[in-house]
Amino acid sequence: MKISKKIVLIGHFGVGKSSLIRRFVENTFTEDYKVTIGVHILKKEVTLPKSNDDITLVIWDLEGNDDITNTRPSYLIGTNGFLYVFDMTRPATYQSLENDLDYIKDRYPNIPLKIIGNKKDLVTNDFIKQNKDVFGRFVDFYTSAKSGTNVDDVFTNLAEAVIKEAKK
Amino acid sequence: MNQEDKLKILKDILLKDEHEYASSIEVKLKKLEDLINKQNNLSKHIDPILEDKLEAFIKEMPKTLGPTITQTLQEEIKNSQDAVVEALYPIMGKMIKKYVQKEIQILSENINKSLNNTFSWASIKRKFRSKKSGVSQGDMIIHDQFKSKIEQIMVIESGSGLIVSEYSKTEGIDQDTVAGMLTAIKSFAQDAFTTQIQNLEYIEYENYHIHLQNFSNYYIAVVISGAFTATFRSKLEDKLLDFAQNIINKTDLENSDIFNTKLKDYFDNENI
Repeated sequence: MKISKKIVLIGHFGVGKSSLIRRFVENTFTEDYKVTIGVHILKKEVTLPKSNDDITLVIWDLEGNDDITNTRPSYLIGTNGFLYVFDMTRPATYQSLENDLDYIKDRYPNIPLKIIGNKKDLVTNDFIKQNKDVFGRFVDFYTSAKSGTNVDDVFTNLAEAVIKEAKK
Repeated sequence: MNQEDKLKILKDILLKDEHEYASSIEVKLKKLEDLINKQNNLSKHIDPILEDKLEAFIKEMPKTLGPTITQTLQEEIKNSQDAVVEALYPIMGKMIKKYVQKEIQILSENINKSLNNTFSWASIKRKFRSKKSGVSQGDMIIHDQFKSKIEQIMVIESGSGLIVSEYSKTEGIDQDTVAGMLTAIKSFAQDAFTTQIQNLEYIEYENYHIHLQNFSNYYIAVVISGAFTATFRSKLEDKLLDFAQNIINKTDLENSDIFNTKLKDYFDNENI
């Protein structure tokens, strides 16, 4: 039986949500920034390495929003897994991280959520260490859509968490 | 040594620098004359400059002249509509004529095919219907050509937009992405009209009509080609209602294999 799961990416404008999806689905990257309007949907079939399950990830790339409370709730209904993405080079995109995460966890308590610090290619390891108060507490993955670092791992890891949650 | 010779010597002494300067100017002038008068020499110096300027001009042209050209063209078209129509009419006319001819040819071939199948079950049925109703067979065939035809049926979970079940006679579209986008459009329409009571029920996409029938946990999207008449729509709504109430049950929603089989069995012969 075919298993499909809905994955939603949220975060501020220009943090690289669309680039992460494009890297994961098409294995491409472009420097040209095109703002996402409304929502864009892509899909990818993956085989999970641990369970060997085949799963279709239907990925919803929502338009960026500086205030998470402005995200259309109807787009979030029925979500099986969330990816919260921020840009490590722009503090404005992670200043409200804790509040944003609380907002998601309050409304979708049992839905797996992974937090991603993107644009790793633009920061040094020292920078990450210096900001460990924020990054160390929350971040699950440091990614770079440009180089592809950790991108597949993020989606695979989330898919595994989604399947685990579904089997509960 | 006479007076004149002395004067000459004096001149040479006094004007030596000026003479040398005049000679050098003369040489330079000669070189310049060569440069200007001989095309090869001149082009060696001028061509690289011209090439750079031309390249820069080509690069900048869309920015600098683009808006002016667009505006001029718009004004010209606006002011000379008759001339534009006159110029385009033969081309457009030919295109439309060609398209209509092609479509009529396809229609004619389909009618011939239908008429040639004299001993087919469909033909016998049509003859019988024709005799009974008094409508000619030709009219019936033409009517059949434009008949509404179900191309694809998708049962989609309301919130998530994930496909629960799907049936199509031809593989053509990425169902998962289309189901997601339909759900996103429905959600957007609901948010935009700030009501949860009303639902998006119909979308037209070029030659296809997408009928959306909403139920509590899911909705059914039916892709239809041909004429989507009110009669067909009414019948389709009744059938989908019957399918939802009498054919499927709650557990089928969790098992797409069983759901697929039921959907295929029910709509295989369009059943409408």
